[in-house]
Amino acid sequence: MRNSLIALLIFAALAAAPPVIGGYWTGQLTGYLVYGLLAISLSLVWGYGGILCFGQAMFFGIGGYIMAVITKGMVLPDITSSYLGLIAAMAGAALFALALGYFLFAGRGISGAYLAIITLAIALVLERLMNNWYGLGGYNGLLNVPPIKLTFFGASFELWDRVPTFYAILIVVAVIFFGTTALLNSAYGLRLTACRTHPDRLASLGYSVLNIRLSVFSLSAAIAGLAGALFVTLDGFASPTLIGFTLSTEALIWVAIGGKEMLLAAFLGAILTRTAESWLSEIFGDYWILILGIAFMISVVLLPKGLLATPLEKLTEGKRR
Amino acid sequence: MSELLPVFLDVTSYVLILVLVALGLMIVFGMMGVINMAHGELFMIGAFVMVAAQGAGLPFLAGLVLAPLVVGFLGLLIETALIRHIYHRPLDTILATWGLSIALKQLIVLSFGPESQSVTLPLDGTLTLGAFSYPLYRLVLMAVSAVLIGGTFWLFIRTDFGLMARAVIARPTTAATLGIDTRRMYRWSFVIGTALAGLAGALVAPIISVDPQMGLGYLVPGFLSILVGGAGALAGVLVGGAVVGGVGNLLAVWISPVAALITVYILAILIIRLKPEGILGGRRAK
Amino acid sequence: MLEITGLSAGYGEALVLRDVSCRIAKGQVTALMGRNGMGKTTLLKTIMGLIRAQSGRINFDGASIETRPTHLISRAGIGYVPQGREIFDDFTVRDNLRLSLMGHDAATALPFDKIYGWFPILKERETQRAGTFSGGQQQILAIARALIAGPKLLLLDEPTEGIQPSIVQEIGLQLAKIARETGLSILVVEQNVEMVRILADQVMFMENGAIRESCDIATLRRDDALLHRYLSV
Repeated sequence: MRNSLIALLIFAALAAAPPVIGGYWTGQLTGYLVYGLLAISLSLVWGYGGILCFGQAMFFGIGGYIMAVITKGMVLPDITSSYLGLIAAMAGAALFALALGYFLFAGRGISGAYLAIITLAIALVLERLMNNWYGLGGYNGLLNVPPIKLTFFGASFELWDRVPTFYAILIVVAVIFFGTTALLNSAYGLRLTACRTHPDRLASLGYSVLNIRLSVFSLSAAIAGLAGALFVTLDGFASPTLIGFTLSTEALIWVAIGGKEMLLAAFLGAILTRTAESWLSEIFGDYWILILGIAFMISVVLLPKGLLATPLEKLTEGKRR
Repeated sequence: MSELLPVFLDVTSYVLILVLVALGLMIVFGMMGVINMAHGELFMIGAFVMVAAQGAGLPFLAGLVLAPLVVGFLGLLIETALIRHIYHRPLDTILATWGLSIALKQLIVLSFGPESQSVTLPLDGTLTLGAFSYPLYRLVLMAVSAVLIGGTFWLFIRTDFGLMARAVIARPTTAATLGIDTRRMYRWSFVIGTALAGLAGALVAPIISVDPQMGLGYLVPGFLSILVGGAGALAGVLVGGAVVGGVGNLLAVWISPVAALITVYILAILIIRLKPEGILGGRRAK
Repeated sequence: MLEITGLSAGYGEALVLRDVSCRIAKGQVTALMGRNGMGKTTLLKTIMGLIRAQSGRINFDGASIETRPTHLISRAGIGYVPQGREIFDDFTVRDNLRLSLMGHDAATALPFDKIYGWFPILKERETQRAGTFSGGQQQILAIARALIAGPKLLLLDEPTEGIQPSIVQEIGLQLAKIARETGLSILVVEQNVEMVRILADQVMFMENGAIRESCDIATLRRDDALLHRYLSV
């Protein structure tokens, strides 16, 4: 409960931000929110589901490409609804995850370090594939992806401007965040914890460990797919970098620095790392990446729970007393 | 025949280098359970030591001696400052060494620039036998790699160090109760693994593009080789390296390199999924 | 030789050993008896440094060893034969023994011939893979592996577990002979009463993580009330 209160405060602060930070930074922050959504999906599957996925961006990229293909009218020229695109992006990413998850986890499944290496290899394969899939733009990707078009009761509104786009995306992110939090606080969350820590015992109680792993893998993929779909409407293009290995590992860094076992910390980890990057990379230039790599290392060694999760947990515990 | 022979030799030289890189990874993974994601960067730094040595006017052989020394010393630092503190948290070693790989890559970008460097061939002759001709350096490279691989196997199978190392791999606590300093074994195995990567990097520097991003291209195939061959026995690396390196390069003769790479990755993933203990079998199936 | 005072140790939060104190004199063979789960194995592991003492002291040969790493405890002269034997299956007999020598100072080490004289079966099978051995032969190898380093104190954890009775007696007699011959001290965790009667001079009884009682072997021979109380046999 306390946790949600802090989350509410943080979302309220985000909602109040645009007038304070101005147009340019509002645009930047919108992008960071979408990265935050990717971080939420990774925290869900890794921190809660116990599945270390080194290729989370593949779901992001799949969602992005599906969104681009649909809203550009490349599938059905007459149906270019943003809603359809978003739903298809989520469903497509989730279905891909379901198939991949079944392949990886069924029977004597793969876990731990092996899983990390295999997901890394799959992300590399997908990136190469997209680079050479000329029907989908190949290396250059798909350009001129239209912005999100909101339609209610016949009226329609295209999200071209920064501020309305920011609020639309903030609402989506908030809904996903609080929805996922509620899900994790339910009996499902308990099963997920049990599945992560004692899969054998859970299996002996009659639960299907495979089904739980598949559900969290697909759910997380759907969220990542949604993030990817939102992202391409912001930038106006979908490229192989969305699906690849670099974004996957960046997401890992955000989530590890923030705190993988806490959705809020992972979300803030993405936003703060990106913000720091845009400020500090100007100051430090090429040294920034060096600093980031070292900070990541130190945070893994000294604060395995995360740089942000540690103080955030203190804060919530302090209020409980 | 004379057309296929150079292809076969190219494939063999690639496989040998891949095995050399994978051996270092395997020693560290098999012994400490540590996944060293920075191994590719250590390979890359080996190549850059060669670049720097040639830049300083040193002969090729000096670079070949310096590279394993410099990279091995770096390995010693990494073990002391980083790995030692987290080797009981295997998944965290993946992340921490990933951070390290980012930092090392950027360190090289800052000192040498992001562009690719060239290393001059120490031997630019070709061996010609009738209709067949082949660059001499590549033949030397193959011979040296084969000797190094053989030497590593000898070290782990025939020597006292190897006996202790295999004991620590099989039963670390029992080895300690017999008076063996397991921490010291971990440290020196890590150093040997990294020095091998550095030496491999220096050896191939003249025939590949040397740039700060080159590590990943060897890291992932290296890991796949270990998992495909089986992490239990050292010989698994030979089989895995031959499958991952050999199949990919042979396929590239008939289909595009990208299609070949995708095919071989998928093949490797399938083998790992269907036979998690690897082709030769191994103990650490997880 | 070995003196333990107020030792507490366990796994994480759960204490297994509570305030254990005992002494083992030089050249003495002490058996540690008690039902399963009373902390006997934990005591041996704590002496070897495989489990860290949370409080208390372990003195060996006049030096405190409770904070030393395992390999240094071994090198100080404590040999350890773990439960389940834990020999190296893929190594030959000779390599199993060599391994133990590599971990120790050559000055205390015994020659191979001495070991082979005590356990001729090992000489016969010197180049065989240890994994092909029967349980009893593996046990002999594990004991030999500890002895070849020339320890002053030997810790044995259930050496008769899962071994056929004829070999139990053979091992017991041989160990008793070695102890007499070399002045080796032994601390043996054992459930097998016959083995204890063959081998031990002293018996300690453990219950709920503490040593409750001890007596010499003559007392035990006269009266088995203690056995009934602590082992419910």
